[in-house]
Amino acid sequence: MENILEIKNLCKKYDNFELKNISFTLPKGMIMGFIGENGAGKTTTIKAILDIIKSYSGEIKIFGLDNREYDKEIKQDIGVVLDDMFFPEILTPNDINNTMKGIYKNWDTKMFNDYLKKFSLLPNKQIKTFSKGMRKKLEIATSLSHHPKLLILDEPTSGLDPVARAEIIQIFQNILEKDECSILLSSHITTDLEHIADYITFINNGEIVLSKTTNELLDKYGIVKCTEKEFKGIDKKDYIKYKKLKYEYEVLIPNKKEFKTKYSISVIDKITLDELMVLMIKGEE
Amino acid sequence: MIGFIKKDLAVIKSNFKLLGVLIVIYTIMGLMGKMDISFILPFMCVMIMISSFSYDNYNKWDAYSISLPNGRKNSVKSKYITTILMTFIVTIITTILSFIISYVNIQSINYEQILVTMFGTVFGTLLVLTIMYPIIYKFGVEKARICIFLLVFGIVIIGSLLANYIDLSNILKPLSFLEDYLIIILIVVAIIMVYVSYKTSEKIFSKKEF
Repeated sequence: MENILEIKNLCKKYDNFELKNISFTLPKGMIMGFIGENGAGKTTTIKAILDIIKSYSGEIKIFGLDNREYDKEIKQDIGVVLDDMFFPEILTPNDINNTMKGIYKNWDTKMFNDYLKKFSLLPNKQIKTFSKGMRKKLEIATSLSHHPKLLILDEPTSGLDPVARAEIIQIFQNILEKDECSILLSSHITTDLEHIADYITFINNGEIVLSKTTNELLDKYGIVKCTEKEFKGIDKKDYIKYKKLKYEYEVLIPNKKEFKTKYSISVIDKITLDELMVLMIKGEE
Repeated sequence: MIGFIKKDLAVIKSNFKLLGVLIVIYTIMGLMGKMDISFILPFMCVMIMISSFSYDNYNKWDAYSISLPNGRKNSVKSKYITTILMTFIVTIITTILSFIISYVNIQSINYEQILVTMFGTVFGTLLVLTIMYPIIYKFGVEKARICIFLLVFGIVIIGSLLANYIDLSNILKPLSFLEDYLIIILIVVAIIMVYVSYKTSEKIFSKKEF
């Protein structure tokens, strides 16, 4: 399968934070959920992909091309929503349309205006008069209106109410079905990702902890709830992390099927991405 | 490229009214034979463009612009082109108005004086641009404002000290033969200044991280 985005050994050092050997790939036509707690390195990784940060080591290829060498060509086919970075707020959606017409070869004014209508955004109003949710919708409309082949979305649904979130997620799904677009979507709201993401990449403290298909993750991984005595009987190599609660142990296991054949513990719950994140970050080894 | 210029023009469009008002004030004052404020008008173009940096900064446009095709280069280029374009347009309007004012007031047009004033004004405006923009890209617009204040203050102090203690006319005497070529020299120096300033800003912005 053709890879739209390939990251190999991406490293970037700050005084108090470090990205360590980030590697993952996003195949064509897929949507990858990029999850992790605040400050884990999601935005820094996205900034490196887009060349917003410069002095990093490693290799980033987009559409098979080096992201720095072919910056101009590559970015014609990328749509972005970045956290807190956008047009000056004294501009209007009409100004954005005029600007983007002169930047993207494939800018589609009709599509942009259709999104404005769909999101009930007035084209002549200054961005500063919009609510946070409306601004987000405008950013999303802007990112979609040049028929990008890759969407890089940093917290695109933050600040949106559940109805607007569902609407946006539906739009992303429609794009994937129609346009053979690929999406890298970072989000705290992991329930959104469970429904639409084909892959989940989990970053913690500047390191990729796992990068797997969502099905594999949600089908294979599980949470064992057991007593202390039962927990002590589990071999260390059969679990990833555990958390001691008041009356029981929650144990993250990588393979429910194998676990069931080996142990007689009956309470094995399906895992959600939220639980996975919490156990991976807060759990003990 | 065109898109970036359109964006910069859209950001400053609310200031066009102010420029219009200043042009009207200049015309009225000129016709009444009061103070000549023509030099302020091109200079205002740079000041207005500097305010666009503040708007950009507030919404982190610079970082966003890098995610656009050729954003690092076009973002800087558009600032220079838009400023120079505005300066020239406003200078041409002011020059035409000066001709009209001169004709109305003294029934003849003092071409030489008006053109020398305008060339001097454009040169001064470009000098501010060429110094300010690299400083803005390096240190941000707020610190750049302090820098320009210190710079102007320094020039005034040094200038007045030189004028007090040194007889400049003696020093400049050997260069008097250049007077005939003053306009050409100013044009060449201005082009070199803008080019060096643009390349410096481009280099600073190409390495900038957000």
